[in-house]
Amino acid sequence: MLAYIIRRLLVTIPLLMIALYLVHVGVSTTTDPRSTFILCLPLCQDGYDQITEVYNLDQSVWIRPFSWFGSAIRGDFGESNSIGGPVGEILWERGKNTAMIAIPAFVIGSIVALLLAVYSARHQYTFGDYFFTGLAFFGFAFPSFVMALLLQNIFGVQFENWFGVKPFNTGRKTGENFFELVRDVTLPVTSLMILGIAADSRFGRSSMLETLNQDYIRTARAKGLPERTIVWKHALRNALIPLVTLWALNLSALLGGAVVTESIFSWPGLGPAFLTALAKPDLDLLLGFVMLTGTIVVVFNLIADIMYGILDPRIRFD
Amino acid sequence: MADLGNQPSGSDGPDSSIAVMLAAADDLEGLSDKPKTFGRLAFERFIHHKLAIVGAAGLMLIIAAFFIGPILSDFEVDDYDVLNRLAGPTKAHWFGTDEIGRDLFVRTAEGGQLSIRIGFVAAGLATAFGTVMGAVAGYFGKAVDAIISQVINLILVVPALIVLSVFALKFGSTWWKLAMVLAALLWTRIARIVRGVVLSLKEQEFVMAARAAGASHRRIIFRHILPNVIGVIAVEITLLVGTVIVLESTLSFLGLGVKPPETSLGLLVADAKGNIDNDPLRVLTPGIMIVLIVLCVNFLGDGLRDALDPRSKSERG
Repeated sequence: MLAYIIRRLLVTIPLLMIALYLVHVGVSTTTDPRSTFILCLPLCQDGYDQITEVYNLDQSVWIRPFSWFGSAIRGDFGESNSIGGPVGEILWERGKNTAMIAIPAFVIGSIVALLLAVYSARHQYTFGDYFFTGLAFFGFAFPSFVMALLLQNIFGVQFENWFGVKPFNTGRKTGENFFELVRDVTLPVTSLMILGIAADSRFGRSSMLETLNQDYIRTARAKGLPERTIVWKHALRNALIPLVTLWALNLSALLGGAVVTESIFSWPGLGPAFLTALAKPDLDLLLGFVMLTGTIVVVFNLIADIMYGILDPRIRFD
Repeated sequence: MADLGNQPSGSDGPDSSIAVMLAAADDLEGLSDKPKTFGRLAFERFIHHKLAIVGAAGLMLIIAAFFIGPILSDFEVDDYDVLNRLAGPTKAHWFGTDEIGRDLFVRTAEGGQLSIRIGFVAAGLATAFGTVMGAVAGYFGKAVDAIISQVINLILVVPALIVLSVFALKFGSTWWKLAMVLAALLWTRIARIVRGVVLSLKEQEFVMAARAAGASHRRIIFRHILPNVIGVIAVEITLLVGTVIVLESTLSFLGLGVKPPETSLGLLVADAKGNIDNDPLRVLTPGIMIVLIVLCVNFLGDGLRDALDPRSKSERG
């Protein structure tokens, strides 16, 4: 098991390094941090030279990434030139904010989706099943920005600002007051949650249906177990196996920052920071971002596979 | 029979009794007197899938409206009517006008055309490329498989927005370039699916027989293996069109996709966003268009899945 985990992580390190290298080369070839200096050139030669020195601009774009790797290994991920401050600190601060909406959205969304899935599977082809299926299809078709804009407009504007729409433009900070925090978080969390529920409940339903049609469930019914035990203890455990992978992917996507939703609700998470860095472009922050999201994806995929093995002991790691 | 009994199509009306379903299943399984071809059976299953028909009809209706609508309207895409700027829906301007008085009905239709064009082109390219890569990876295995799998992993690790932004800065951003980048990012899912199918197919006797008869690798892949994957591909390409349309509109909304003077549904939402407090309807019209297109595409994809691959479970239930 431990060997398996180590091997998996070792395989992904070169992959991540190639990704970082390509991003570095790609962004370097399309931008020049000296562009504003070129206009005033003979006068600001000093500044021009300084920037050249800092970003190693006299080197070829193919060699430049290596100096970044050199300092990254020593734990120095550079300075952000768009937001200001060391990249590590920015990612930590923004990451905490993103987690503040990602984790509630994930937890509540997964629970609701699971309950809906169990309900739909147990009441297959009834009105309730059709109702939730229709709703899921509809929710699934909504692009996140339409959903976020609608929620923001309906509950944030039309209803006299029930929920804080732009908490960070009004000077309030997160965490000062728990109730204000809940108020600020509600809309972005709801927006993220609806999209997740739509996808998960369909998937959960077919997984639950398949389990409920298996022979061992019939056996459990035949020996007279209460329906509650059959559904929640016998069936659910097996139905959960395929869902776990989906959950790991969902959580890793959410923790990487919901670019659209966070931007629309002006939530200072990773998403808007990423967009700012992309527009500038702020190479160091972008690389930090790639590293963070890449690590999250890799780690959560690994967790999913390990959970798979725990839930289904037939699966062996080798 | 048991397979068809719990076919999770979601289309069987609540009134369909088990007897009817069993009779229909007999028919669909080809147990009736006259033998039917696979294509004929699939077509019949598709026709009986209500949601799929709704999806197909809806999609055709929307596409027709996007292409015919501007002809019926008195306005051109770039005509501006400054006196009637920011007007709500009126008799002359069916969807209202924007900041400089351009007719939003015509612009929505034009944007819809472009969104659909990008959707089909990108999904088609991604499917073609993904199928070939997946088939090659699955068929040859070993080093080829390892390399293609790592390339797929690499694409999943690099944030798509960085790729799109770098590409747009370097090569510009007209719609077909955007479609190509999207295809380059989205072929991975189809490649994985095709790889899985090919892995199991290549061990079967008919492949061995073809090889024994002296068929080349290319002939085996294209003539013997890929025809077996067509059902899966047809479903995936349909669903991919929906994915691309959502992705394109999201990118355009963020300013990383289609750029003016071209317009797309996402760009129209982005334009309307600034004035959403006074005129939420203007955000809603292109937004709902996207939702409807994707809804129809997903219905169609589900129907195709049930028709072409009756044994498979549809993920959406």
